[in-house]
Amino acid sequence: MDKTEFIAIVMPFRDKLYRLARRILVSKDEAEDAVQEVLLKLWNGKMNIENLKNPEAFAITMTKNYCLDRLKSKQASNLKIVHSNYHTSENVEKQIESNDSVALVFRIMDSLPEQQKIVLQLRDVEQFEFSEIAKMLDSNETAVRVALSRARKTVRDAMIKNYNYGIG
Amino acid sequence: MELDNIKKLLDAYFEGMTSLEEEKILRDYFTQQTVADALVQYKPIFLGMEVAKQEHSHKALLLPDSKPKVNKAWRYSVAAILVVGLGVGSFYLSQSRYTQEEMEALAAFEQSKNAMMLLSENLNRGTEQLSYVKQFAITKDRIFE
Repeated sequence: MDKTEFIAIVMPFRDKLYRLARRILVSKDEAEDAVQEVLLKLWNGKMNIENLKNPEAFAITMTKNYCLDRLKSKQASNLKIVHSNYHTSENVEKQIESNDSVALVFRIMDSLPEQQKIVLQLRDVEQFEFSEIAKMLDSNETAVRVALSRARKTVRDAMIKNYNYGIG
Repeated sequence: MELDNIKKLLDAYFEGMTSLEEEKILRDYFTQQTVADALVQYKPIFLGMEVAKQEHSHKALLLPDSKPKVNKAWRYSVAAILVVGLGVGSFYLSQSRYTQEEMEALAAFEQSKNAMMLLSENLNRGTEQLSYVKQFAITKDRIFE
């Protein structure tokens, strides 16, 4: 397989990998690096991407694992990172949209536990089926639904609180 | 009517029980301009998900030129190691076998040479002694004559 063929396979879901990495790692630069690293692994890897039944799902699982590993080593090596990340994410979100309550949705999403964050991203942003998500996360549909429900409710509660505060 | 349906879907949505089709109905409803006042607090959620989907990676994908390059280099190195190994091995093996044989032959040759020398020396010494004996016989003959 040559480079153009590989890129043709990978390009359609590259942004999905990036958005997932972004959700987990928060920082834009780190998300870009993570995607580059995952695709490089896929390119250099022994397994041929052509032979995979679902390269997209495989790449998403790889990205998720890579990002979680990054997060773990980061937390182990640097405690200050949580604080500095918060600032960068806030800035970036300001660039994306000016709507305050939408920015709040993003902030809540960033504060969710990793697993809920990932499920919410894969379902509500990328719109994957529950069965696909369960496979990607090596989990089952019930667990995915539970995590998703919790994530959605956390976002909802924050929105209601914000809305009531705005009115009152 | 539509509002009731949306409310029902919303409840199911927060329980994680909606299908992708139903979620599309919710998305379509909340991303349009007119959202019922009672539901307006949910609008940012669906807007946020839409915004999140607009994000794109901006970094160019950097890949090494050709995939088999790595594998080939690996094969070349193995081949090179094999060739060198075989060369050295066979050279060493043949060399040592020859020298061993040669050494043995040389040692045997040296030994036999030494033995010959010793023999010839003794032989010479013997003949020298013999000449004394001959002289003695001559002198004895002279005296006893």
